[in-house]
Amino acid sequence: MKKKLLIILALVFIVYLGYNYIYQDHRNIETEQAAYILSSEVINKEFLQNAAESQAKYLNKTIEISGTITEINAIDLTLDDHVFCLFADSIAKNAIRLNSKITVKGRCIGYDDLLEQIKLDQCSIIN
Amino acid sequence: MKKLVYLLVIISLNTFAQNKYLTKSGTVNFEASVPSFEEVKASNNAVTAIINTDNGEFAALTFVKGFRFKNALMEEHFNENYAESDTYPKATFKGTIKDFSMETLKTTSTFEIKGTLTFHGKTKPLDSVVLNITRAEGVLNMTGNFMTNASDFDIKIPKIVKNKIANDIEVSFKFELKKK
Repeated sequence: MKKKLLIILALVFIVYLGYNYIYQDHRNIETEQAAYILSSEVINKEFLQNAAESQAKYLNKTIEISGTITEINAIDLTLDDHVFCLFADSIAKNAIRLNSKITVKGRCIGYDDLLEQIKLDQCSIIN
Repeated sequence: MKKLVYLLVIISLNTFAQNKYLTKSGTVNFEASVPSFEEVKASNNAVTAIINTDNGEFAALTFVKGFRFKNALMEEHFNENYAESDTYPKATFKGTIKDFSMETLKTTSTFEIKGTLTFHGKTKPLDSVVLNITRAEGVLNMTGNFMTNASDFDIKIPKIVKNKIANDIEVSFKFELKKK
């Protein structure tokens, strides 16, 4: 009797693990520790010097970038004309202003060579 | 004096050639679902698209990592096993809209675009994709969709999941291009 109960419990546990594996949560960039913390000028310089190497270094990494806001749209903003930050939801417009300093955390998804911009998604404002 | 005239002509030519509309937050979706199985669908909201309204040239660039799935594990598998986004981070489209002209463009018009799609390191021509363009003040809204095959881009679907992932992929796009 005890053995049967143990087997059932083990099965339930395996199913639970399997379910959690298949329906695991997405990465939460907002709570993740940033792998790199730097200014928009520094990262732009790195990409200008060697786009392929920098892309390999930063791709899919959580990074924190500080810079001056040069463009604000509904769900994105641009730092110093060359770091494009996409947010999941609309940005609280009253909290930020054009030409003000800001630090943004997000995931690097690549280097846009059409516009020469570094793109981040799932961004959040640090301060 | 002559030089100055030349300079002015060159500058004005350049400004005329800058009739570009662009977006940095366009949307591209794709779906390779099979009915009655979990949907295989992703959306990318960080697409760059540019159109030159003088000659109808169009280019779009998306980052493969920017495609978001509902299921995190599916997103991981898509990036690691199918699209191999560490090796091929970009998907691009370059093409020309047939008979495009701003003069004939009314509030809503239908065009055809012809070009090449590059994804997973493979380039494939796309012929006559129907494009709907709506014109508003300083904005061009472009929408459309097309079908493509995973096998054309050298993406192998393992046998074990073959009945859950379609080889025909429906791609749809939506760009709100603003005058630059």
